[in-house]
Amino acid sequence: MEFKTVLFYLFAAVLVASALRVVTARNPVHAVLFLVLAFFNASGIWMLLDAEFLAIALVMVYVGAVMVLFMFVVMMLDINIESVRRGFWNYLPLGLLVGTILVVEMAAVLGQRYFSLDALPNTAAEAGYSNTKELGRLLYTDYAYPFELASVILLVAIIAAVVLTHRERKDTKAQKIGEQLATRRDDRLRIVSMASVKEAPSVEKAVTEEGNK
Amino acid sequence: MLNNFVMPDFNPAMPEILLLSMTCGILFVDLIFGARHRWMVPLLSVVALLVCAFVTVNTAIGDPVLTFGNMFIDDLMSDFLKLLTYVAVVAVIIYSRGYMKARGLDKGEFYLLMLFATLGMMVMISAANLLTIYLGVELLSLSQYALVAIDRKSTRATEAAMKYFVLGALASGLLLYGMSMLYGATGSLQLGEIAQAASQQSTGNHTVLLFGLVFLVAGIGFKLGVVPFHMWIPDVYEGAPTAVTLFIASAPKFAAFAMTIRLLVTGMFEYAEHWQTMLLILAVSSIALGNLAAIAQTNFKRMLAYSAISHMGFMLLALASGVLAGGDHSPAMAAYTSAMYYVVAYVLSSLGSFGMILLLSRAGFEAENLTDFKGLNKRSPWFALMALIFMFSMAGIPFFVGFFAKFAVLSMLVATEHTATAVFAVIFSLIGAFYYLRVVKVMYFDAPQDNLPLRVGFDMRLVLSVNGLAVALLGLFPQQVMSLCQFALLRSL
Amino acid sequence: MKTTYLLIPLAPLAGAILAGFFGKLIGRTASHCVTILGVATAFFLSCLVYQDVEAGHHFNGPIYTWLQSGGLTLQVGFLIDKLTVMMMLVVTFVSLMVHIYTIGYMHDDPGYQRFFSYISLFTFSMLMLVMSNNFVQLFFGWEAVGLVSYLLIGFWYTRPTAIYANLKAFLVNRVGDFGFLLGIGLIAAYAGSLDYTEVFAKREELALMTEAATGWPLITAICICLFIGAMGKSAQVPLHVWLPDSMEGPTPISALIHAATMVTAGIFMVTRMSPLFELSDTALNFVLVIGSITALFMGFLGIIQNDIKRVVAYSTLSQLGYMTVALGVSAYPVAVFHLMTHAFFKALLFLGAGSVIMGCHHNQDIRYMGAIRKYMPFTWITSLLGSLALIGTPFFSGFYSKDSIIEAVALSHLPAASFAYFSVVAGVFVTAFYSFRMYFLVFHGKERYDQVPHDEHHHDDHGHGGGKPHESPWVVTLPLVLLAIPSVLIGYFTIAPMLHGDWFGSAIFINAERHPALEEMTGEFHGPISMALHGFASLPFVLAASGVVLAWFFYLKRPDIPTAIKQRVMPIYTLLENKYYFDKFNEVVFAGGARLLGRGLWKVGDQGVIDGLLVNGSARTVGFVAGLVRWIQTGHIYTYAFLMILGVLVLMSRLFLSAW
Repeated sequence: MEFKTVLFYLFAAVLVASALRVVTARNPVHAVLFLVLAFFNASGIWMLLDAEFLAIALVMVYVGAVMVLFMFVVMMLDINIESVRRGFWNYLPLGLLVGTILVVEMAAVLGQRYFSLDALPNTAAEAGYSNTKELGRLLYTDYAYPFELASVILLVAIIAAVVLTHRERKDTKAQKIGEQLATRRDDRLRIVSMASVKEAPSVEKAVTEEGNK
Repeated sequence: MLNNFVMPDFNPAMPEILLLSMTCGILFVDLIFGARHRWMVPLLSVVALLVCAFVTVNTAIGDPVLTFGNMFIDDLMSDFLKLLTYVAVVAVIIYSRGYMKARGLDKGEFYLLMLFATLGMMVMISAANLLTIYLGVELLSLSQYALVAIDRKSTRATEAAMKYFVLGALASGLLLYGMSMLYGATGSLQLGEIAQAASQQSTGNHTVLLFGLVFLVAGIGFKLGVVPFHMWIPDVYEGAPTAVTLFIASAPKFAAFAMTIRLLVTGMFEYAEHWQTMLLILAVSSIALGNLAAIAQTNFKRMLAYSAISHMGFMLLALASGVLAGGDHSPAMAAYTSAMYYVVAYVLSSLGSFGMILLLSRAGFEAENLTDFKGLNKRSPWFALMALIFMFSMAGIPFFVGFFAKFAVLSMLVATEHTATAVFAVIFSLIGAFYYLRVVKVMYFDAPQDNLPLRVGFDMRLVLSVNGLAVALLGLFPQQVMSLCQFALLRSL
Repeated sequence: MKTTYLLIPLAPLAGAILAGFFGKLIGRTASHCVTILGVATAFFLSCLVYQDVEAGHHFNGPIYTWLQSGGLTLQVGFLIDKLTVMMMLVVTFVSLMVHIYTIGYMHDDPGYQRFFSYISLFTFSMLMLVMSNNFVQLFFGWEAVGLVSYLLIGFWYTRPTAIYANLKAFLVNRVGDFGFLLGIGLIAAYAGSLDYTEVFAKREELALMTEAATGWPLITAICICLFIGAMGKSAQVPLHVWLPDSMEGPTPISALIHAATMVTAGIFMVTRMSPLFELSDTALNFVLVIGSITALFMGFLGIIQNDIKRVVAYSTLSQLGYMTVALGVSAYPVAVFHLMTHAFFKALLFLGAGSVIMGCHHNQDIRYMGAIRKYMPFTWITSLLGSLALIGTPFFSGFYSKDSIIEAVALSHLPAASFAYFSVVAGVFVTAFYSFRMYFLVFHGKERYDQVPHDEHHHDDHGHGGGKPHESPWVVTLPLVLLAIPSVLIGYFTIAPMLHGDWFGSAIFINAERHPALEEMTGEFHGPISMALHGFASLPFVLAASGVVLAWFFYLKRPDIPTAIKQRVMPIYTLLENKYYFDKFNEVVFAGGARLLGRGLWKVGDQGVIDGLLVNGSARTVGFVAGLVRWIQTGHIYTYAFLMILGVLVLMSRLFLSAW
């Protein structure tokens, strides 16, 4: 067994274990920290695949930026994890069953048979090959179109964020005449029917009622 | 090192490029004038879409053209669908203006997000590569999530947006997973190459492709909103502001259709028999659930949501009857034509139906319950007639566009010997007719609950009337649109 | 010219839509204006088409292919030839007259706009029916006119009698339509086409085939099935029972639909199908027998009716019988000729009757009229002209058509022809008698309009009886005058070309070798004048004249005699009173049998299957599914996501199981 293989299994084992902990951790801060750990391990696996740019980008972007922000949010909000996890044990058997079947079926297809190292041999890179440079070259030439699209998506994300969070002044007191005219009576007024004069119960009735009681 | 790079041909993608630049321009206009001149952004948006329509027509060549490293395709189908998309979005903008204004939601961003979503649809429609399909889907979805949540004060809308977002992310994940399997098995993201590889590969990779196919179908199912990937539809349709529902229920169906055709027909035609069975399962359960659940609804928007599920199921029936057992694919073209026609017919009727809600709504009042349609005939005979046309068309009553769409699909089913399915579809269409006719009954025979005159702009009255007449006339003259669909597909596939 | 053809039916349709959907919006005047404009357009365009057709320009082809799906092509196609153009002229002209008349007749009715919309819609449907070049469109028109007819019979839907009549017309016509549809189905199955031309091209092949299931000669089966359809629509015995009751509808539609146009659709259809009917003597004999029974026995019923509209209705039945007889002896041109003349004078008589009803404050009972001629001169003169035309007075249009029918029957060699001859000749006497009985009772004699018993008149929508009769407004009398002109003259001018001049050309096919009646008649024809002069000396004229005289004697001279006779021959009178017990028979046998069967089915089928399984079952299913949906649609994201995953699982497992 090569050292790389040993490393792979190590990374993979820690990755799966920490991913499980993300879901099961009782403390949200712990969950976030486990997610960070998972990212680190994924990055390690990518490194083993010679995808060093992606590996570093993952650490820098997700761990360095996204997760730190996430951590702040989680620490500031008071999330009651117990209420979120309510019913977890009720749903677990069903979920586990479905999950297991899915995993078994997918493992049967995506297993060794088609995706082993023999089926997809690693092409050795030539000397002086730069992963980063290659990615950059592709992104700005052949993949310029998807790259631009991705930037548009980011733009939309910014606009969406602004729309959903930006607040306008609420203290203006301008009259909206159209709205006032369009208001229906039912919006403002509720008529409750009440008898103006209430008849006093007759004596005999009162007596019988007394008797019934 | 960059020597072997050739500048791509921008011409075929001119509509997309123009729309993006104009949208960014409108963004600035909105920033500078938006607060004072609210009419500007919608007007400019309509103008931008009209310009795109003009450019689309002018750059239509007829034969498929690939560009951007074969990731972008411009063929007649894409031109046709894009034009329909513009029409639908323009109608949505005009219908929704008054409604959004009455609720103080007519911010420039509302229109801008719709334009970005339109761009996303165009990308989906013109995608020839798994990557561009995915990016198009994301661009469209992201804009839609934001649109659903645009009314921040409404908890219902926020909740709907949240659900839509989470489920959408899950669906994107499924789609991506399927795409990665396709890539793993064929080594390419290019749909054409995938198709080629699928027809040549050793048997081993077929299994991987087939499993990838399952995930693709799941992703497509979510976009179309068919059982069991439909769960977002009722909640989002009901929760979102009606103008947004109108948008979600109309133009994106074209994009979803294009995506289905690209992925399944262009890319995975080799496995037609397999995906047909899957689509058939989705279709049959959608028709059954959609129609039966719609009957129980009293909320008009929710009823239309379930009706949308059943309609998309109906459309899938046509897609599922293209290739006969044994691999004879002579009926394929006719089947896809009828599916496309069905989408056109559905979007037209759907635009009108949601348009009716917008027509009857006003500040502080949503005409979203069936009871709000009571006695419409007394209040406005013309629009009662329009609503009648939309309902009849949806129900598939003869001489409206919906009938012909249903008829085309059913005759496809019979021709390809799916007789039992056809009978099933007919029975459920009849059940479905019940709840559409209930709307008509309420409009014509019940006493109105309020007698306020309709307060909508002339532009909306005009477009809604044109919409209604189109539904009526296309039912009388269905052959023209049918031949258009057929021609577009024939020259593209 | 295609555009013109298309405009002819579309103009009334546009009027109908405008008046129907926007009647309340545009008001009463605008409603009648648009509909009248639509029908007038159709009429004038029909005149143009007539000129064009006279110039020899026939047309047969699709106007618009509605859809093409596999081997089946559904298209709107027109066949414009002499037969069509004649029908178009009759339909649009009578319809135009009725539209104008309606302004006066329905003046105070709250359903004014609705009524105009219906009659324009009817005109559209009828035009689609006659202009069709294929069976699908024919059937569409057939059902559409039926539909409008039911709507109009039940126009005053608050009256139980109207609803009953409406239902009756609906049910009886279903029987006819069933036969008609069966005939069309047989044609589609064996000829493989629903286009007239293509079907007629295969007639020789069809003639040799036998029906697979029963072994009957195919062509006879087809023709009899089609004719059953015609029996329903054209009210032939025994499917005639709906027509008298249809008089519950407003009078203008009795004139338009139940006298001039719709009921003659069956006659038109059989004429159109003449290439098929010519191949089957059996079918022709059947047609002849049914026609002669209708012609004679329905006439008898006219004698004892007291409701003015019902007298005219029974006369219509009898005249339809005459047309059918003409069809039976292969004298198709004579049948449509009589159809045309009858359309004019019967519409005139109906509208005249309507005018009388209006003048008498909505009293319809002729026993309480009398001497109205003094008050309603226009109505009186025009009704007299109409009655003279109806009984076949020489030189009047009715004479030419009716006499031709009698002559054609006399010359026919079919086995049933002798019975038919007796019927039609006897029918002449009967016709004259009941027509003039009504005429004398209404317009002459003593004034009895003040004796109306108050519970008698159910037409008390407005203005209770009493008061003298008064002449109707000009919108009512103008159509009467305009209809009186063709009623008197049209026969004289058109008999020579239509019957003896091969005017119809290829539109009608007659196998002259086997059915030479018409050809022989042509040999004996020496112009309309000599025919009329000759007519004075013929048996029918003598019979008609004696009928008139007898009516005069009974109802003006010695009014006590009818009562005396009535008492003598009570059984016959009772038989007639009960309309030969057709209704009773239907009620006991069909309705009773149906009820018996129904009760049996109700127990098993209705309560068990329908109620238990379908109604409650579907309600329960909907409830169940709704519950299920509510159960699934929890509103929780994780349920939704889980269902999606489950969906993937199902799809994947299916694949998994099929792969291994």
